[in-house]
Amino acid sequence: MARRVAVVGAGMTKFVRRAQETGKELSWHASREALASCELALDDVDAVCLTSAPDAFDGVHMKGEYLSDGAGAFGKPFMRTYVGGGSGVFTAIQAYYTVASGMADVVLAVAEEKMSSTQPHPQGAFLTIFDNVLERPLGPNLLWIFALEMNRYMTVHGIDKRDIAAVAVKNKQNAADHPAALLGQADITVEDVLASETLAWPVQRLDVSPISDGAVALVVASEDAAKKITSDPVWIQGVGWNLDTAYWTNRDLVFPEYVANAARMAYDMAGVTEPRKQIHVAEPYDPFDYKELHHLEGLLLFDKGKAPEAARDGVLDRKGDLPSSPSGGLLGVGNPIAAAGLMKIAELFWQLRGEAGARQVPGTPERGVAQAWGDLMQVGTVVVMGRDGGPPTTATQLESPPTATPGRSLSDAEFRSATGAVDDEVGARYEWDAGVAIARFLDGLRGGMLLGRQCRNCERVLVPPRMFCERCFRGTDAWVQVEDTGVVQTFSICHVSWDMQPLDVPSLPAVIAIDGSDGGFLHVLGEVAPDDVSIGMAVEAVWKPVGARTGSILDIAHFRPRREA
Amino acid sequence: MLEKIANPDEIRRWDGDLPVRHRYTPGVAGEAFFTALRDRGVLLGSRCTNCDYTYVPARLFCERCFSELSADTEVGPDGELVSFTILFEGIEGEPLDLPQVIGAIRLVGADAVLIHRVLDLTDEPLEIGERVEIALKPEADRTGSILDIEGFRRAGS
Repeated sequence: MARRVAVVGAGMTKFVRRAQETGKELSWHASREALASCELALDDVDAVCLTSAPDAFDGVHMKGEYLSDGAGAFGKPFMRTYVGGGSGVFTAIQAYYTVASGMADVVLAVAEEKMSSTQPHPQGAFLTIFDNVLERPLGPNLLWIFALEMNRYMTVHGIDKRDIAAVAVKNKQNAADHPAALLGQADITVEDVLASETLAWPVQRLDVSPISDGAVALVVASEDAAKKITSDPVWIQGVGWNLDTAYWTNRDLVFPEYVANAARMAYDMAGVTEPRKQIHVAEPYDPFDYKELHHLEGLLLFDKGKAPEAARDGVLDRKGDLPSSPSGGLLGVGNPIAAAGLMKIAELFWQLRGEAGARQVPGTPERGVAQAWGDLMQVGTVVVMGRDGGPPTTATQLESPPTATPGRSLSDAEFRSATGAVDDEVGARYEWDAGVAIARFLDGLRGGMLLGRQCRNCERVLVPPRMFCERCFRGTDAWVQVEDTGVVQTFSICHVSWDMQPLDVPSLPAVIAIDGSDGGFLHVLGEVAPDDVSIGMAVEAVWKPVGARTGSILDIAHFRPRREA
Repeated sequence: MLEKIANPDEIRRWDGDLPVRHRYTPGVAGEAFFTALRDRGVLLGSRCTNCDYTYVPARLFCERCFSELSADTEVGPDGELVSFTILFEGIEGEPLDLPQVIGAIRLVGADAVLIHRVLDLTDEPLEIGERVEIALKPEADRTGSILDIEGFRRAGS
């Protein structure tokens, strides 16, 4: 039988564009503040759970070990977990099971990110999450994934971009009341968002959260320990996490099933049977404004396609029926990846204790849900937290935490001239093997054929081919040739490269359902004006001349609108 | 099920990289350490009175008790050779013209150990426990880098 587990303290640094502090120093500030908030010393901590997103951000290999002293791990059981953008919420889950299992009574959970070290742009660290053989030759950047998902979400549900922009407005306004926020703005309007630069249509500059540095820490305790530490513990009532397919183009780009699966797991554990009645405050993951809506639907708090109306109608406002991201979220407080997720848990802690000051949602919220998303954009991590009876009525008089908010921002000039700074690069190069299935697929491309593998068990044809079926976990059965035609599932008009430099000619990435196959295929569109592209459009491959083919994904020059034979 | 590779030359490979560079700023304590090294030629550590332990380079916090620290303690310039290694190959495995000695040095007044070069080898073998002294670059050449210290050499040599 798992023990009850509570959050008893929280602390964070300011989220800033470039912190003067090192990652260790940021971690220490957040950790110390969390301990101070519940009057504990480092000696009272039994174990430390840490998370931080890719090592390449800080430019430190084995970043968990590097950050360990700032997280208070000296001489203690310590483990860094990492599930990409889902990491911040996951480290609370890690702390939960470390305590629930009886392995420790008091755990410090720490999340750090220092993205400012990465040059020329942190996106460089993400390029190798794309398939190096099949996707990276197409020149992808991270915005493609979001733009393609957002376009399909908007198109399938007929969503007005204004209703999505309302989320960016709400969160930046909420963040104006957060002492740690990077991008709080009380007077921002929907028009400001709609007028901002288009990066990868439909994604505009103000739809996106900022690159940031920061750290957050929680103190998590067993029931016995929690009751000794505080009269006001906030219980972790349920946790859930779930992974979708490893091939992002094969996912349902309209509904995040992995979030729904994680939410069901957490709700079941928490005894939540009617989330729309029993969840009073939400902190869904909002790296992009549409993602908050996507995730609110995944959290089963709105019908599919209905969250945007809620944003438009003020339901998600701090004083609305379901306050969503009252912290200001990633869009407003900032997005130091792993730290941002744990910030959401910290916000629930403060909200449920009635300690959120100017950010406090009205009424007596008894239960909240926080969620993050990441890995290869396919993990959902969910935590349900509650306080028996809601916050005490006197608590709203408390000063708005975090109170100390260390974390000093460096100007561009200070960053460039910092004494002792060192410029370096990893200097690693790679040779990626195509592997068994893809080598044969590439041979097919050279011959002008699209080859797939058939799984007879789940009756799917996989293009690109795979030697095993991830659903049935058995070998696929046979090679099949499919047509070089398909239907556009979603597309974007991308105006920037991965390092955010403007492109002379926008690229038109698209996820295409190849006729006779199951799942999506990433390529680019050509011989078509961007304004003439639509979801549902029939397309055909345009092959390079035989002599110019090399056995590469680029042997298909692009797909173009299908011409009748 | 497994398909045999008959000709290794036919294995498809893609060359690529992870196109990121980094700029590491040394943080609050690091800036104090490097500024003092550059401008005054001294090594600043941080003393935790609670743990009776002196870190070098300076630190913002004590990893043992989490107390806030400052760059308050000058250490060295002499130290004790705690251990050393003699390198005959470079990072790519290439032979070095002259062997390089890397030492772990506990500076006078410090508990933590600093890694740096040991200079001016002689025929007399180095010994663990030997006293070494700092060799600084001339003030005009110092930039605020760990290489403002050229290395350490046997005391009195």
